[in-house]
Amino acid sequence: MIGIALRLALRGVRDLAEHPWPHTFACIAVTLAAFLAGLFLLFLTNLDRELHARHGQVQFQVYWQPAAELAGVQNAWQELRSWPGVESVRTYTPDEALHELTASLDPEAELGWLKGKSPLPATALVSLAVPDNDPDRPKIVYERLKALPDVAEVHYNPAQMDMARSWLAASQRFLWPLIGLLGLVAGLIVGNTIKLSQVSRLDEVDILRLVGARQWYIELPMLAGGAAQGLAGSILGLGLLKLFQLGVANLLNVPPLFLSIEFLPWIYALGLAASLTLVGLLSSWVAVR
Amino acid sequence: MVRLTRLSYNFGSVWALKDVTFNLGKGEFLFLTGPSGAGKTTLLKLLYAALPMSRGAAEVCGFDLARLHGRHVSLLRRQIGVVFQDFKILPKKTAFDNVALALEVRGMAKSLIERRVRAVLRVLKIEDKSYVPCERLSGGEQQRVAIARSVVVNPSLILADEPTGNLDPGLSRRLMDVFKQFHAYGTTIVMATHNMDMLAMVPSARIIHLEGGRITLDSSEQQPPEGVHR
Ligand SMILES: Nc1ncnc2c1ncn2[C@@H]1O[C@H](COP(=O)(O)OP(=O)(O)OP(=O)(O)O)[C@@H](O)[C@H]1O
Ligand SMILES: [Mg+2]
Repeated sequence: MIGIALRLALRGVRDLAEHPWPHTFACIAVTLAAFLAGLFLLFLTNLDRELHARHGQVQFQVYWQPAAELAGVQNAWQELRSWPGVESVRTYTPDEALHELTASLDPEAELGWLKGKSPLPATALVSLAVPDNDPDRPKIVYERLKALPDVAEVHYNPAQMDMARSWLAASQRFLWPLIGLLGLVAGLIVGNTIKLSQVSRLDEVDILRLVGARQWYIELPMLAGGAAQGLAGSILGLGLLKLFQLGVANLLNVPPLFLSIEFLPWIYALGLAASLTLVGLLSSWVAVR
Repeated sequence: MVRLTRLSYNFGSVWALKDVTFNLGKGEFLFLTGPSGAGKTTLLKLLYAALPMSRGAAEVCGFDLARLHGRHVSLLRRQIGVVFQDFKILPKKTAFDNVALALEVRGMAKSLIERRVRAVLRVLKIEDKSYVPCERLSGGEQQRVAIARSVVVNPSLILADEPTGNLDPGLSRRLMDVFKQFHAYGTTIVMATHNMDMLAMVPSARIIHLEGGRITLDSSEQQPPEGVHR
């Protein structure tokens, strides 16, 4: 039984060669659809990755009042490091801040006389990770920082924070429906094309029926042929996409962009190939019915 | 084997068959004659369930055609060998493969298929064209491939629609010998033809003449052939 099924499936694939043109065109259409869908996914996944790498992090600059007790400030620093999501805390006592400032200014400038009575406040640079499932974290941390004793001011880049938040929100709300819609369109195009190409084999189906073949005996080779077209087309399309990706991989990897284009995560590539194969299968099934 | 009661069939407003009634016993040889457009092909198509029943009753090989669906259609067709007027062979496949197809769908073993197909192709004198794609065969050769495919399955009923249409007299005679041989072994045969010379080759055969979809003559009603039980 399995032997027969396998033989029928193989024959279905081999018989594609009997009508080379319709099947070649169908294969080209599937290849292009796979390439375009892959390109869109490539764009999305890279954008997503970049935004997560860059904007999945928010930096706060915290300034204490110049008159604040240093011991109290240092206690606060210690506590800060244990807050959830805080990745690093760089701290500057007034003297250290002065030192940094001096170093960044004219090294010749002589500010040594200010030692011990630095006019700069104590500062901390807090890096916070923003996970996808908690886009409101920066806001909460901001409030918490402001509520610390003797804190004068908390600065952050609101544009950056909003961008990160809105992207995360958007990607959750629109990305998957969009991918679904795209998949539907690609599926319809690919499905119709394969279905049309299978029409060239309907005379064969007709004859098989007339000599008494069972439905599954007729369907199996057709389904295998359709699935093979879907699979071949998507492999070719993904191959093209890989070539494209290799071509542009380092095109944007220049200062200050440092954008490198990476290939689709394998699960996406696999999903794309699997769905197009399934579409080929289903549309062949519709064609023989 | 075949029981038809007031069988009618229409293509839209055209009645291709009108009140056709006859019984055909096992082992009978029936010629369907009549001018072009008389309804011969339509009748044969109804018998192998290529057209849906609309009016009347029909029973073929024990299957009630009015209530035939799904799996049973293929079961009925496995008992019937059909020679189609337009051959219905696959042009890209070789003569051998076309004939073998009828056995393959029945799940027969490869070695047995090989033996049977060769034998049939030899009898029909096209064994030298066994491995030529059918699109490169002449009309008469294609017709013999179609005939080979219908008889290779050892059917209990053979329906042949103008099987000698493209054959020269010598080949026609040879073909009739093949059919007669099957008939001698008890196969029921229905052959639609215009060719009156064919009728002379099977003197014992029953003849039903159709005109405008109606039976205008049934030879069995005048002089029942001997040795045929129905
Ligand atoms: N698919 C169809 N659609 C409409 N009318 C049809 C169709 N097939 C046959 N007919 C009509 O039905 C009638 C009977 O046709 P049929 O093919 O049964 O004739 P026939 O006796 O086989 O003729 P021939 O000897 O030329 O093969 C004809 O009038 C024909 O025009
Ligand atoms: Mg006809």
